[in-house]
This record gives sequence, C-alpha cells and structure tokens, in this order.
Amino acid sequence: MAGVIETRGLRKRYRRVEALRGLDLEVPAGSICGFLGPNGAGKTTTMRILMGLIRPSEGWASVLGDDIDGNGMATRSRIGYLPQDPSYFSRATVRNTLRFVARRYLAGSRGAVNERVDETLELVGLSDRADRKVKVLSGGERRRLGIGQAVIGDPDLLILDEPSVGLDPEGRSQVLDLLESLKERMTIFYSSHILDDVERVADHVLVLDHGEIIEQGPMKSFLGGGAATYRVRFDGDGEATIDSLAREPWISMTRLIEPGVWEIGIANREAAEHDLLRTLHGFDGTRVTELRPQQRDLEDIYLDLVGAGDDE
Amino acid sequence: MTSEATTLRRIETVSPLRGLGGLLVVELRTWFPWRVLFLTIAGFGVFAMNYAGWRAGNAEFGSLLFPFFGLWIAILLLSVVSLTEGSVLGEIERGTASWLVAMPIGRPAVILAKFFAASAGITAAVFVTGTALYPVLLEASGWGRSEFRVSELTEVTGGPIGMWGRFTSLVDFGEWIELLLALSVFLVFVVAVMILFGTMLRSRTAVFGLGLGVVGVFGVAALAGSFAAASPAGLLRVIIDVSQGRTPSLVIPFVASLLWTTLVLLLAVWRFDRKELS
Repeated sequence: MAGVIETRGLRKRYRRVEALRGLDLEVPAGSICGFLGPNGAGKTTTMRILMGLIRPSEGWASVLGDDIDGNGMATRSRIGYLPQDPSYFSRATVRNTLRFVARRYLAGSRGAVNERVDETLELVGLSDRADRKVKVLSGGERRRLGIGQAVIGDPDLLILDEPSVGLDPEGRSQVLDLLESLKERMTIFYSSHILDDVERVADHVLVLDHGEIIEQGPMKSFLGGGAATYRVRFDGDGEATIDSLAREPWISMTRLIEPGVWEIGIANREAAEHDLLRTLHGFDGTRVTELRPQQRDLEDIYLDLVGAGDDE
Repeated sequence: MTSEATTLRRIETVSPLRGLGGLLVVELRTWFPWRVLFLTIAGFGVFAMNYAGWRAGNAEFGSLLFPFFGLWIAILLLSVVSLTEGSVLGEIERGTASWLVAMPIGRPAVILAKFFAASAGITAAVFVTGTALYPVLLEASGWGRSEFRVSELTEVTGGPIGMWGRFTSLVDFGEWIELLLALSVFLVFVVAVMILFGTMLRSRTAVFGLGLGVVGVFGVAALAGSFAAASPAGLLRVIIDVSQGRTPSLVIPFVASLLWTTLVLLLAVWRFDRKELS
C-alpha cells in the first residue's frame, strides 16, 4: 500500500524545545490510522505540519503524494481537517458554517450544496441544531460540527485531532461508526487518547513519544498478530514437559513464573488453538490444571511502550 | 452523500485568492450593519452634542464646526483602530485563522477580505454621516445657501482662528465630498496598517498602541507641512487645506496613499503567508 502520508526526518524546534525529533512515519492508503502518544508527544504539531499551518525545521513530508512545501492548496482540496480546538464564525449558524465549508471544496447548484449540508447534519446528529448559532453549542456539539465540516467536502484524507474528546459515550460510539463507514471512501488519520476507541476502529497504529515514532504498523501485528501468550499450571514437575514443548516450531518462548506455573509464548495462534492442549495432554506424567490465554490489549501495549507515568 | 454526486464536483482552482468571495461576505457581515451603524451614530452623536451646545450658546457658526470635526475625526480614528486591532490577531488567537487556512482558501484571500470589508464599512459610515450632515451645516450657516463659508468651516482644523477668518472661499458639495473622500482614504490606510500589525505582533495591546502611534505620526506630519504630500499625511493636509478655503489637488496624496496602502497590504499578505498558525 502506498503511503498517503509520509514523513522522513521531520523535525520541529520551538526555540529550545524540540517538539519533533526526526519523525519517520507512513500512513497507508485506505487505512484508519490511530495516532497515539502522551500529551506533548508531538501529535498536534505533526498534524499542523501536514496541514501546512506550521513549517518543519528540518525534514520532508508528503500528503496525498504532494510535498507539503509544494502546491498546498490542491492538496488541501482533498483533505478534511478537524483541529484540536477549532473555532468557527461564532455568529454563524451551524447550517451556514457547513454551507461555507462546503462551498470552499465543492462547486454545484445551491440546491445540491444544501442537500449535502442536510446530509452532513444528519450524519453528525446536528439536524435539530442546524439553525442555532455556533456560539451556543455545547462542547460535544461543537465537536460534531467539527467532524461534519471535515467530511462535508468528501475528502480523500481525513486528519482528525482528537475527534471524540468531549463527547458522551453515545456520541463517541457514533463517531466511531462514522469513521468505520467512511473507511471505504477515504484514508483516516486520527489522534486519540481513548485507546479502546482506537483499538475498535483503527487498522493501523502509530505511537509517538517525545517527538519520535516508537512503534508503527498494522493493528494486528501491534496487538501481537498471530502470536499469543498462555499461562499453564502443572500438577507436578512441568519442567520436562516445557522442555519438550519448547522444541515445537510454533512455540516462541517459555518462562517460569512460579513453581509449576509457566508462561508460554505462541508464535501462531491457530497452531496453539489446534495443538497446544493436545500436545500438553500428550506428555506422560503431566497433568495440566490450568491453561489460560493471557490477554493484552492496546492499552497494555501502549503503556509498556510509553511508560505509565509519561502522561503526567 | 451520493444522491447529488453528479451535481457537485470538487473545486480544482489553485489561486491565492481562492475563497475571497466567501470570506468577503462573512467579513462584510461583521461590519454591516452594526459596526457601520455604530460609527454613523457616533458621528451624529458628536454633531448633535455640539449642535445643541452651539444653539444654546448662540455662538458663531465656526464654534459649532471646530469641536465637531475635531471630535469626529478623533472618534473615527479611535474607533477604526479599536475595531481592527483584533481582526487578524484575534482570529489567530481564537484558532479561526488556522481553521480557515487549513481549507482550500488562499492566505492572501483572508487578509484581503478583512481589508476590503473594513474599508467598505468605514467608507460607508463616513459618507453616510458626512452627506447627511451637509444640509444641517447649510441650515446652521443660514438657509438659502447652497454652500457654507470656509471662513466659518476653517475653524475646525484648530489653526489660528483669527487668521482663518480672512479666507473667503466657499466649500461646495463637491469639495465637501472631496474632504470626506480624503478622510475615508486615510482611514483605509489605517486599516491596512492595523492588519499589518496584526500579522506581525503577538499582543493586541501592542497592535492597538502602535496603530495609535502611526495615526499620531501621520497627524503630526500633516501639520508639519507639504513634504508629507506624497503620503497618507497628505490626505490630512488636504482636509486642512480645503477647510482653509484653498483648493489643493487631491490627486497626489490620493494616488500616493493608495500606493502606500497597497504596499502595506502586500507586506501584510507576505507576512501572513509565512506566519505559523496554531
């Protein structure tokens, strides 16, 4: 898959602070890419550089195949962007705000634009707020408006900075559903602190810490891919059994947790589901009293990567 | 989002002025009607205050115009500086500017829309006030006249009144309009300066203070003499000269001011184009 967003050696310095330290990232076309990292890691700075709002101190970046130093406007015509803390024309109504944005991206009859606006209002659940002024919207409603204005131009790439922050659980769920429904038509690059949300919809993950990418790749391989870890408790001496088991090609590691309790790394989950229990039962003199898969979700892995205290 | 797909197409135009029309409509709405109304009412208010005092005191006609013009110009300049000090910096601080330029909108269009809308609003306020007051001034200087005496009008400029009394020229409606035009073009120049400061500075207080400083410098230059003719100060000089009964050419200060304004505006566009927005 070609990279819709690519950066090489991207750096950004603010006087003595280095916000980005040689960022190399790639967002595959057609993916929903979750951009993770603690506060101050450089996520928003990266997005602002990609949108041409700020300039990198060093390095190179391309968006939708165009160098960010090149023709920005042609590229921006194909991007929908939700800033972290957007501000709209406060005296305009929700409908007029969306109409204004639609007119910046799309040419067509007034009726067609109005139809697009109505559809977007419906999409983000703001139909009943359409004629209210933006300044009286709640935080969550403003967020929905932000998502609406990002998608109304039917972009090829959506860059969303914390799209679900400030939304109630129902609103968050609607946003995730929306992102999933848009996946067929556009690449989505979004930052979030809500790891459950990212795990639910993203198929690609980038983890940024202190201005550097510390992990990136498909969600599947991020979560372990086909790999898995099991905890096995033996009644008796399990050591000989483990030694034998370790010779199987689908075993990646074994580790003694406590007497009689072992952790077994499986390189191939399918093989494990198919063969592990049968193999364990195949050893004479071994009785397995417990066999439990060890679940590690995105949050566990993320905290391992960036450290639990980094967000403070 | 497919039903109208055949009637909507993505705009491919690449131009630094893309989005100017839409932004101009938005900016004009911030000036019309309320800001323009405010400026107009302020002008009428200042006149009414002076007119009532003049009637009550049964003073000479010049004693009506002197405080009126002095206050009107001062209020206009203060209003323009305060209404425009946040036009760029305020939007940068709030995040509206970054929201706009992340769309396919040319950064020059953002600056030009602000400039044209503010200029239109201020010019409208000056002309509505000025043309509406002209018949009142004629009435105040005595009915039956299609013009009022500059010897009466000249006292507005703050010079030695005794000396001005010697002038006998008349200000007709054309000259009155010329005076209003000179005032408007000077205010438009101030707008351009305020927009430039908004792209350069990080504090609205600094923008406000420097804006007032520029107004002061050009005011002093206008009083200082003819060397300022090829600058916006020349417009203020025209106001003084017309008031004194001379018939100075508006062409040089007018053209020079347009060039100065264009230069300042180009600097603002250049600066905003390179500005990092967060």
